[in-house]
Amino acid sequence: MEKLSKQSAFAWYFQRITGILLVVFAVGHYLMVHWNERAGHSFDISVDRLSSPIFVFLYLGFIVLGMYHGVQGLWNVIRDFNLPRPVYLTTMALLVLAALYFTYLGFDTVLTVDTWKLRP
Amino acid sequence: MAYKQTSNSVSRWSKILLRYRPHPGEWAWLLHRVSGIALTGYLFLHIWALRGLTTGRSAFEAEMNLFTTPFFKFLEWALFAFVIFHSMNGLRVAIVDLASKNASKQKALLRIVYTVGIAAMIFMGVLIFLNPFGEKTVENPSTTSTGQVQPQ
Repeated sequence: MEKLSKQSAFAWYFQRITGILLVVFAVGHYLMVHWNERAGHSFDISVDRLSSPIFVFLYLGFIVLGMYHGVQGLWNVIRDFNLPRPVYLTTMALLVLAALYFTYLGFDTVLTVDTWKLRP
Repeated sequence: MAYKQTSNSVSRWSKILLRYRPHPGEWAWLLHRVSGIALTGYLFLHIWALRGLTTGRSAFEAEMNLFTTPFFKFLEWALFAFVIFHSMNGLRVAIVDLASKNASKQKALLRIVYTVGIAAMIFMGVLIFLNPFGEKTVENPSTTSTGQVQPQ
């Protein structure tokens, strides 16, 4: 019981910390990528941006934080419905698997995109 | 007779429900949950859409040409409504939660959330629909809407 309450307290606290970090990132992302139409929709600008190690680090961090914050938030919502335990566990397992798969896709995109600069 | 009883029952329950006055914080709580679910779904979708960056210029540009149509611009603006509300209200929740002395200020903070949110929506609407700070995305004439490269 003690262990569970410590986990819940950590999840509650970390949800707020990741939320604050995501707001900072979202402001930066919008100012950089959406200040004009081309900045967010050009292949060359996007590839150039993801060729920088700083942006790679920031976007990988964004994927991890966003996935954690989103899945933890959905977890809270689903738990409030007080579903039967098998349904709850199945839903959560599918959600975690989806999050892991999309995290992999995001990492793969961010880490391989700059190789386009080397292609004709 | 049965109809009259049902009608009276509906009328009584309607009066009870209409008497309920939700606290402004309740709407914020509900909107925070709805926008959070939508944004998590969008995060998956966004990662999926950006896969075009790994499949090549023509596929990516065809996708982006679709995203710059008026309908998708409107969706982008609607998405920003979710982003700005969830961000601002999330900060409000964190401010109230992390320092209990702020709990009494939560209504004032909610007014700030809505005011800043509406101002940001107007600003973002100008950026998205009028694009005042830049040129339009240059469409690649060699690319079709399906991303296939046309022979020159």
